[in-house]
Amino acid sequence: MTYAKNFPLLMILILFISAFIMPLMKKNIFVKGLSLFTMGISMILSIYTWIFITKNGAYFYRVGHWDAPWGIEFKIGMIEAIMAMLFTMVATLILWYSVYSVEKEVKDNKVSFYYLLVNILLGSLLGMVFSNDLFNCFVFIEVTTLASCGIIVVKDKKENIAATLKYLILSSLGSGLVLMGIAFLYDITGNLNMTYIHKEIMNVHAVYKNTLHIAAGLCTVGIGIKSAMFPLHVWLPDAHSSAPASSSAILSALVLKAPILLLIKILYGVFGFEIIREFAILNLILILGTMGMIMGSVLAIKQKEIKRVIAYSSVAQVGYIFFGIGLGNKLGLTMAIFHIIGHAVTKSALFLAAGAMIEKSGKKKLSELKGIGKEMPYTLGLFTIGALSMVGIPILPGFISKWYLSLASIDAGEFMLIGAILMSSLLNALYYFPIIVNGYFGEENLAGKIYKSNEKSIKELLPLMMLIIGMIAIGAGSNKIMDMIRIGLI
Amino acid sequence: MEPIILIPIILPFLLGIAGTKILFKGEKIKTFYVISAVTINLLALIGILNIEGAKAFHLLKINPFLDIYFKIDKLGILFALLASILWIFTTFYSLAYMKHEGKEERFFVFFILTLGITLGIAFSGNLFTLYIFYELLTLATFPLVIHAGTKEALYSGRKYLIYSLGGATVALLGMILLFSISNSLNFVEGGVLGTVNIDNPKLLLTIYMVMFLGFGVKAAIVPFHSWLPAAMVAPTPVSSLLHAVAVVKSGIFVLVRVCYFVFGAETIRQIHGNIYTSVLVFITILLGSLLALHQENLKKRLAYSTISQLGYIVLGIILLNENALIGGLLHLVNHAVIKITLFFCVGAIYFMTHKKNINEIKGIGKQMPVTMTCFSIASISLIGIPPTNGFVSKWYLALGGLTENKIIFPIILLLSAFLTAAYLLPIVVTAFFHGEEKKDIKKLDPPIKMLVPIILLTGITIFLGLFPNVLLHYIKSIVENLV
Amino acid sequence: MERLLTNYFETGSMILFGIGFVTLLLHNNLIKKIIGMNIMDTAVFLFFIAKGNIIGKEAPIIKGIHKGIEGYINPLPTALMLTGIVVAVSITAFALALTIKIYEKYGTIELDEITRMRGD
Repeated sequence: MTYAKNFPLLMILILFISAFIMPLMKKNIFVKGLSLFTMGISMILSIYTWIFITKNGAYFYRVGHWDAPWGIEFKIGMIEAIMAMLFTMVATLILWYSVYSVEKEVKDNKVSFYYLLVNILLGSLLGMVFSNDLFNCFVFIEVTTLASCGIIVVKDKKENIAATLKYLILSSLGSGLVLMGIAFLYDITGNLNMTYIHKEIMNVHAVYKNTLHIAAGLCTVGIGIKSAMFPLHVWLPDAHSSAPASSSAILSALVLKAPILLLIKILYGVFGFEIIREFAILNLILILGTMGMIMGSVLAIKQKEIKRVIAYSSVAQVGYIFFGIGLGNKLGLTMAIFHIIGHAVTKSALFLAAGAMIEKSGKKKLSELKGIGKEMPYTLGLFTIGALSMVGIPILPGFISKWYLSLASIDAGEFMLIGAILMSSLLNALYYFPIIVNGYFGEENLAGKIYKSNEKSIKELLPLMMLIIGMIAIGAGSNKIMDMIRIGLI
Repeated sequence: MEPIILIPIILPFLLGIAGTKILFKGEKIKTFYVISAVTINLLALIGILNIEGAKAFHLLKINPFLDIYFKIDKLGILFALLASILWIFTTFYSLAYMKHEGKEERFFVFFILTLGITLGIAFSGNLFTLYIFYELLTLATFPLVIHAGTKEALYSGRKYLIYSLGGATVALLGMILLFSISNSLNFVEGGVLGTVNIDNPKLLLTIYMVMFLGFGVKAAIVPFHSWLPAAMVAPTPVSSLLHAVAVVKSGIFVLVRVCYFVFGAETIRQIHGNIYTSVLVFITILLGSLLALHQENLKKRLAYSTISQLGYIVLGIILLNENALIGGLLHLVNHAVIKITLFFCVGAIYFMTHKKNINEIKGIGKQMPVTMTCFSIASISLIGIPPTNGFVSKWYLALGGLTENKIIFPIILLLSAFLTAAYLLPIVVTAFFHGEEKKDIKKLDPPIKMLVPIILLTGITIFLGLFPNVLLHYIKSIVENLV
Repeated sequence: MERLLTNYFETGSMILFGIGFVTLLLHNNLIKKIIGMNIMDTAVFLFFIAKGNIIGKEAPIIKGIHKGIEGYINPLPTALMLTGIVVAVSITAFALALTIKIYEKYGTIELDEITRMRGD
């Protein structure tokens, strides 16, 4: 089974190499096929990796057989394996969905470039997950930024370009900060490999306290911009709402999450539990996370377009993840990672469902989408289940995150913050339910609508259904997932 | 054999979902389907109650907290039987009534679903399971409330949703805090906290109050009552069900579970939780009655009356002694029967004459003698005049108040009884004695499907007043272990 | 003050970083924003390379005789920054391309005017 150790690298290489074959292909159908095929292969490989990890435990992989401090190293543990599985599975389903609908939002001659960018994006996200080398992670961040800007701007509308530029500028600001943070760490420790940096920091952290603070702060803020931590989220609603449906799903489900995972690696892997707990930076993350939870929802209530509502809801949900990270205990961290998983599946389903509604009805305002439930009952039904998870109906993953985050904040002695969690889930109800209620009910809303007149075919809805089923499975199997995450954390 | 206790809960779900296809097939099939669905479910329920051994079942146990657990106990049986039986009456009634409201198919799908959820509440074995069904109940009854689909209905529906979800969220806060102390949310007679030392009474009190208020929203405790009158835009069978069994009684039922099966009477006494809550309950009883006096709309008047009567039941619960709890549980049953009768009568008036205000129904007693007679009997019972069932439960409530050595309780009860008379009797008087004398009066009693449930329910009201012992013994056997 | 002067590479890079940061955030003109971004990146590169530099030693290129480890500076930061520069250049190129597109569609590259146009 030792050949399985190569799989993580293989996944990235397959995605990267196949990406550059795509522009050579004449027909779009082949491009789609290749993209879906390679993503499927990566998914299978990631499942294999996961099985390998469960049997043999975590391992380090030397890229190009150079030993650790000089060569680039991958660290593949339980969390990395789960994340790789999550990313590839969600991406496969989103790609499957996009196969039917991408032409409606992307011009024919750009389809091959679109899939090229998606493959590169996924490859670099996986690289960010696996890599144990800080500078390597930075490069992957930059590749991610370029690729994700590409899949937004590919629609080539006025608002896309403006949104993309905003995203690009803020993103490069963020990566500049991250690079500065890395420079500080390199300055103190002389290493870029996370394991080695951690060893060095354990020796010198008493001497370089301030420098470490600055480094942690720079990394947090930089990654905070990338993953839309609350006051730094300004680029997100424009970018996510104007992008094509499948891009929005990938962006909010995956692109936001990989930097957060990197932040977890930096804070808890590079600095380590003992050191980071004494830093004020965790409190900052906690406060910003709490504010994000509330303010994201409040801002979402004010929005008039369905995709903007969902985009702002992402800000709130990312707030939960930062909340978990900021609590600074094992349970909080576990729940942060669990919420990454739950939210990735839920939000991609919501974006795809909203995208389907917009695509079929040609309207994107909430006021124009009233009565859509009669025309597209199944699509809105799937949307409803996803929304129920966001609101926090038991068994669905949203509820589980909220429950355990509350318990974690009791552990951390922060009773007041439970109120914020619950308040945020109530606010979630305030903006998701009107969409559903106006979609299904109301005399005026339903007038003139014909039952199932606009529904997507079952074939096209299948990936969406699988996402929703996956979401329910994540909720039902939450205990096992959390156990696995716990194994990974130790 | 254990999973068998799930049948009455899951069957309505399946039937409801199957109903989305079957109900559209035609008038006769629909009638047959709905009636057989609720009847079969009642039979299944009774069948399961008679099987020995099938009493508890873990559907899905992931960890100590994520545990979907069903358990049949006496209190649950009482609530389940009450709901199932009243559901059958409502079914017959609404088959006739809903003809003029339209969209019957959608109505019956959610109607059957709600039955399953209510039974799920009855048989939940821990607070978490109960919470799931409690949330589901909100979601399943929401389409019923906004059935008319008008702007007003949607507005009221939103109010209902916000209040209910808000309450549930607040209750969830209590659950989280409690779970962090007790590590178990199972229902145990005498409370799960019995073994845990009370070293932080203030925190416990906070938890108790938070849960009481949170779940109290569905029990329409003032100041969280205003969704209930607003929800009166719903069709009459819905409002009667909301009031009599499904929603508000679920709220009460949860309060019983929280007080006696989670906290335990002893604990609540130690943390003085009953003192704070009793203030709220006084306000609820009096304010409900006083506000009812002002209502012109018949249904709204009954809605405020419900708020005040629910106050009685909650009073019985929080007095924490045997007689009071007997009175509370008796009134839970009795009020359900009485209020559903009253609503059915008002619905019948609206159905036949399209009148819904008090000043419009002058002399209607002569046109609809049977309906209005039943209405009068039910009113008398609600006021608490013997030989009706309302008297029995109020008697026990007053006894409970006296056991506590506080004269204020019986006084409140008496005062409220006068107020009840003041808002219900004018309706009866207007209906029978006002209006002009006419020779040839057209008989307007509603169709047989609506009339029979009304008469039968009135019969039950009198029967339970004359022979309360069967019910009383059963409730006493529940209460014995609790206080 | 003394420390700032001795570490003049770092001081200079921090000043540059500040200039770039402010330019990036405060200017409305997109081209100026991109220039600011570049200044900021350059500052980080300077900072990083300064970490590997030791004054008085040569770049690690062997001319004639090998001087031993002591004779050369740390080549790693320089190599890394090469990658960094490539990334920065590609991002600049992308941003400039987008700016041209924006000018085509909106007729201006002032951000506040674009926001106003999108507002109504």
